[in-house]
Amino acid sequence: MNSLRTVSRVALRARPTRSLFAATRTYADAAGPGDKIRLSLTLPHQTIYKASDVIQVNIPAESGDMGILASHVPSIEQLRPGVMEVIEEGAGSKSFFLSGGFAIVQPDSQLSINAVEAYPLEDFSIEAIRAQLIEANKIANGSGSERDIAEAAIEIEVLEALQAAVR
Amino acid sequence: MVAAWKTAGLTYNTYLAIAARVVRRSLKEQPRLAAERRGQMQLKFAKWEGGKQGEMKNIAAEQVQ
Repeated sequence: MNSLRTVSRVALRARPTRSLFAATRTYADAAGPGDKIRLSLTLPHQTIYKASDVIQVNIPAESGDMGILASHVPSIEQLRPGVMEVIEEGAGSKSFFLSGGFAIVQPDSQLSINAVEAYPLEDFSIEAIRAQLIEANKIANGSGSERDIAEAAIEIEVLEALQAAVR
Repeated sequence: MVAAWKTAGLTYNTYLAIAARVVRRSLKEQPRLAAERRGQMQLKFAKWEGGKQGEMKNIAAEQVQ
C-alpha cells in the first residue's frame, strides 16, 4: 500500500516534466494548424496574401495544374499564365489570373507564390482580350522578324488562357 | 521540350515581361490605367568609346544584348 502511494506520487511529480516536453516547439507547430497551408502571394508591387492560412491552393504549373494542400511535398514549380484558385475556410474561393512566375512549397506547409501580375478575374475586359487576340494572330501569321513572331506567340498563349478564364 | 520563345532567342525575363504586359492591357479601364503607369520604365544608357560618350538611348526601345 505504502509503496503504491510512492509510485503514484512519483507519477504526479513526473507529469510536469512530461508536459514541458510537449510544449517544445517543432517545425510542424510553427507552421500553424496542421490541416492548413500558409500562403504568401507576392507581386513586385503588392502583397495579396501574407502568410494566410488557407485550405487549398490550385496553381497552373508548367507541368500541369496542381492542387496544393497542407503537408505537400516540397517542390518548386514554374507557373504558366493561368488561373490560380485559393480555397479559404468559410470564405469560399478566390480566383486570380497570374501572368507567370514561380510557386515554392516549403517543407513546413508554407507556399510562396511569386508572379509579375495577378488580378481577380472580374478585373478583365473580354473586349480588350478579343481585340488583342486578333492583333496578335495577325502578327504571328505575318512576315515579321522571328522575334516579333515569338512575342506574338507568347501574347496568344496568355490571351487564350485569359479568354478561357474570363466569361 | 524547349519553349518556342527560347528558340527565338528570348530570355525568360523577356518572356515574363511580355506576358505581364498583355495581362495589364487586358484589364478593364480603371485598373488598367493604374497598372500601365506602373509598367512604365525610363532608363537611358550610352556607350562610351575612346573616352567619348556615345548616343543616349532609351533602354526600353533597344534590344538587350
